[in-house]
Amino acid sequence: MSFRTKVFLSITTTVVITVWIVASVVSTLVTSSFERQDTQRTAALVSQFRSEFERRSAEVERRIDAVANSDPVQRLAVNLGASKTDTAQYYDQALALAKEQSLNFLELVGPDGSIISSAEWPARFGYKENWLLQPIDWKSQGVFLQRAQLADGPALALITVRTLNAGDGLLYIAGGQRLDKAFLDSLSPAPGMNIRLIRDLDAPARSDTADSKLADDLIQDVRARPHELSLTGPDLTLTAIPLLGRDKQLLAILMVENSRAELANLKTYIQGTAWIAGSAGVMLGLAFSFWAASRVTQPLLALAANVRDVASGKWNARARIDSTDEVGQLAQDFNQMTEQLVEQRDRMIQAERVAAWRELARRLAHELKNPLFPLQITIENLQRARQASPAQFDEVFHESTSTLLAELDNLKTIVGRFSDFARMPAPHLEPVDLNQVVGEVAKLFDAQLDALDRPRIAKILQLDDNLPNVSADPEQIRRALRNLVLNALDAMPKGGTLTLRTQRLDGPVESKVALEVSDTGQGLTPEECARLFTPYYTTKEHGTGLGLAIVQSVVSDHKGTITVRSEPGKGATFRIELPA
Amino acid sequence: MRRRAWAWLALSSACLGALIGAIRPRYGGTLTVELSNASLLRDSPGASGHLSAAIAETLVRAGPRGIIEPQLAVAWQREPDNKRWRFSLRPKVTFHDGEPLNAVSAAPALLAALKKHYGDATVTAGGQALIVQFDHPVPDLLAELARPETAVFRRNETNPMIGTGPFRVTAWEPGRRLTLAAFEDYWGGRPFLDSIVLSLGSATARADVFDIPFGSARHVVPEGTRIWASPASELVALLAANPQSTLLQALSLAIDRAPIVNVLTQRRGEAAFGILPQWMSGYAFLFQTVPDVARAKQLIVQLRLPSINLTYPANDSFARSVADRIALNARDAGITIQPTTSAGGNLTLVRWPLESADAAMELTRLLTLLGASERAGSLDPTKPETLYEAERALLDDHRVIPLVYLPEVYGLAPRVHNWEGAQKRDPFRLNLENVWVDQ
Repeated sequence: MSFRTKVFLSITTTVVITVWIVASVVSTLVTSSFERQDTQRTAALVSQFRSEFERRSAEVERRIDAVANSDPVQRLAVNLGASKTDTAQYYDQALALAKEQSLNFLELVGPDGSIISSAEWPARFGYKENWLLQPIDWKSQGVFLQRAQLADGPALALITVRTLNAGDGLLYIAGGQRLDKAFLDSLSPAPGMNIRLIRDLDAPARSDTADSKLADDLIQDVRARPHELSLTGPDLTLTAIPLLGRDKQLLAILMVENSRAELANLKTYIQGTAWIAGSAGVMLGLAFSFWAASRVTQPLLALAANVRDVASGKWNARARIDSTDEVGQLAQDFNQMTEQLVEQRDRMIQAERVAAWRELARRLAHELKNPLFPLQITIENLQRARQASPAQFDEVFHESTSTLLAELDNLKTIVGRFSDFARMPAPHLEPVDLNQVVGEVAKLFDAQLDALDRPRIAKILQLDDNLPNVSADPEQIRRALRNLVLNALDAMPKGGTLTLRTQRLDGPVESKVALEVSDTGQGLTPEECARLFTPYYTTKEHGTGLGLAIVQSVVSDHKGTITVRSEPGKGATFRIELPA
Repeated sequence: MRRRAWAWLALSSACLGALIGAIRPRYGGTLTVELSNASLLRDSPGASGHLSAAIAETLVRAGPRGIIEPQLAVAWQREPDNKRWRFSLRPKVTFHDGEPLNAVSAAPALLAALKKHYGDATVTAGGQALIVQFDHPVPDLLAELARPETAVFRRNETNPMIGTGPFRVTAWEPGRRLTLAAFEDYWGGRPFLDSIVLSLGSATARADVFDIPFGSARHVVPEGTRIWASPASELVALLAANPQSTLLQALSLAIDRAPIVNVLTQRRGEAAFGILPQWMSGYAFLFQTVPDVARAKQLIVQLRLPSINLTYPANDSFARSVADRIALNARDAGITIQPTTSAGGNLTLVRWPLESADAAMELTRLLTLLGASERAGSLDPTKPETLYEAERALLDDHRVIPLVYLPEVYGLAPRVHNWEGAQKRDPFRLNLENVWVDQ
């Protein structure tokens, strides 16, 4: 992850988290404030409902008293007590009285509980109202809630009962007013509030409520245990007040709905503001990251480029120092480090040169000391023969000159090999069938491999038939291969197996060919493997140390690579890879 | 002691004389009649039901038990094939404008009335004889001629109804007022009343005679008012749009007619279990049943009950009360009925006026109204069992549920006398010539 990205993410995360925290706190405070206000408004509305309830109760009592004291009802009571009066003539009496007293409910009920006249359901004359026959002082009961059955369904009413003596029995006057929408309309809920009376508690879904499931849950809870209860949903707060009847049974629920739309709008506004602030934070982070990059990462990037230059061999790369801060100090240290590296490299090159010259001198001394010693002996023999006997001198002379010439040839050979290594020519590239080259070289050594005076070395050729031609100098390739085969044969003084192998390598970008020369000799140590291609390094007693150096030079000139894998006692395998 | 006895005798004689004087019919006076239904005065002066006979008369009339009696026709004969009838008109009868009643003057009105029901009817006039001829047998022609629709009357530019009845029309404001005056030359003798004024009634009854429709507020009447009710003259019934025998059987069992009769009709109606009332058919008691809500519940327990709308006539408070009570009874049995004034309900509450005292003729008419006219073919007026079987089959179809028979009810002021006697001869007509008032 780049520095710029890190800066961007850090700033953005900081701003977003800050905005989220602020928005959450504000939202929580607003929600708390609204809920407190909702509670107060609900309490005020419920108080208003109770006041209206009491006012209407008093009114109902007053009106029912008026009905009970009216002439028709008094006359009915007298007639009922006097004889077996036909009550049929009174069947629509309640309707007139209810109309006169503005009552929604009024029933005149005889001593046996039979309805004589019903205002709310005139057709119910003759039906029984047994609940009135309970031995109760109805006047002391005051006004109570009662679920009244009407033709179009149940209704909730504020009911009170009065009795008149009718002979041995009582005439019951039961009536009141409906607790309905008109009653609720007389209340004045605050904006956003709604008040409803739920009479049918078994209705499964309440489509007139914004959150019907919440309403259902609330009603179920209140039905299970009648008490005032509130539930809050995402869109509204519902408060249920149980309305109980005379026997404390739950008759209806007063549902106060407090819309949370205003709260939701405010929350939406806060969220919108938070989003805007968050987005601004992201943009700020983006801008700041660019600014920081220009101020901070650019010197670092330049410094990184300098490092890469150094890595690629440009030892004179220098970092620009634009500031005195940590980055400037880092650039200064970098420049100091590269200067030290250059000095160390130069010293190392110098040391290596010295070492190479010493090695060369040691080699030259070693190579030249062997022929020089016979030359010295031969010349000394000549000198002694000249002094001792002229007749023997001729014989010695001939032998000595032959020896001198031979040793001189040897010196010339040694010098020639050094000369050849020094004058390695540039390869003349042409398409070369590597399998053919391998075959030719292998054939050169057949006689040597089959010689009876030395241990048997088996030869195995594993040539890839699909090997493509390579662009190479065939003579240099043959020379390199011969050197590798000679090394292999030298590594197997007790016999073994020589394996020559070619292989086509298909890579994703380019194709290559591989050439391997394996022996089953004594193998090499890892240290020997590391120094094997160093010029003038040899593990052989009479080697010049130039053979593998020449091989590496040839392979390098052909844009190839040479590697060796070996373990002591398990032979060695040299692998050349050349581009096809 | 003797003097005291003479005093008692004189006092008793005075009281008896006064009593005799009080009940003796008196001529003169105006009878005011208030009607609650404006249509009775709107369509025709003779459309006011019982009162129509006061203006125009029919050739024959039905007696208390439906027996045909002479009226304008004093005698009649018919051919054995019942296609040709001959009526001898009552002599010395004149119309209200002085024109004598004869075959020529009676024939047009009679032919027009008969043509409404018998397209092949022809009426031939000859002196005081009327020959009525049909292409097909008409055995019940006498019952048809007893209906008010076949009354003999004429009309001119100033008088819409010139009949032969005891009263003549002197003024008519359609839909508002009808004034009748005694017809001095009435063949049955001058009526006691000088005049009768019929008008559209108000809510508070102040006339000598006022009708009391069921369901109105008029059942609270001024002190001293006598209530008079005619025999059952109207059938209130439920009519099913689609026969659903089990459901309607259950509904029929759930309905308790007694409260309807006792309360809604104030005991003036009569529970109806058949089509024709007892006084007309003589066998209606055989259809009587008792409510059985438990049985009704058993009947519907396997039914998928449809939503039932009960249509009742709009602006008819009595019909509404009956519909509400039926819905309440049905609810007790688990049947939900919604009373409505919108047409097209599954059930309809109908109020059918009875028009004739002839059971066969009335049953034929009602069967036709019920769309079961094919059953009328099996009716034989001389065999009441055929009427019973037809009615039984109709009730077993559960297409109609009779509920209650209603009479016409009038409130009579104390000064009105002999109103009850006016109806003795024909249950569907009032003979107002016998009514008299205190002055």
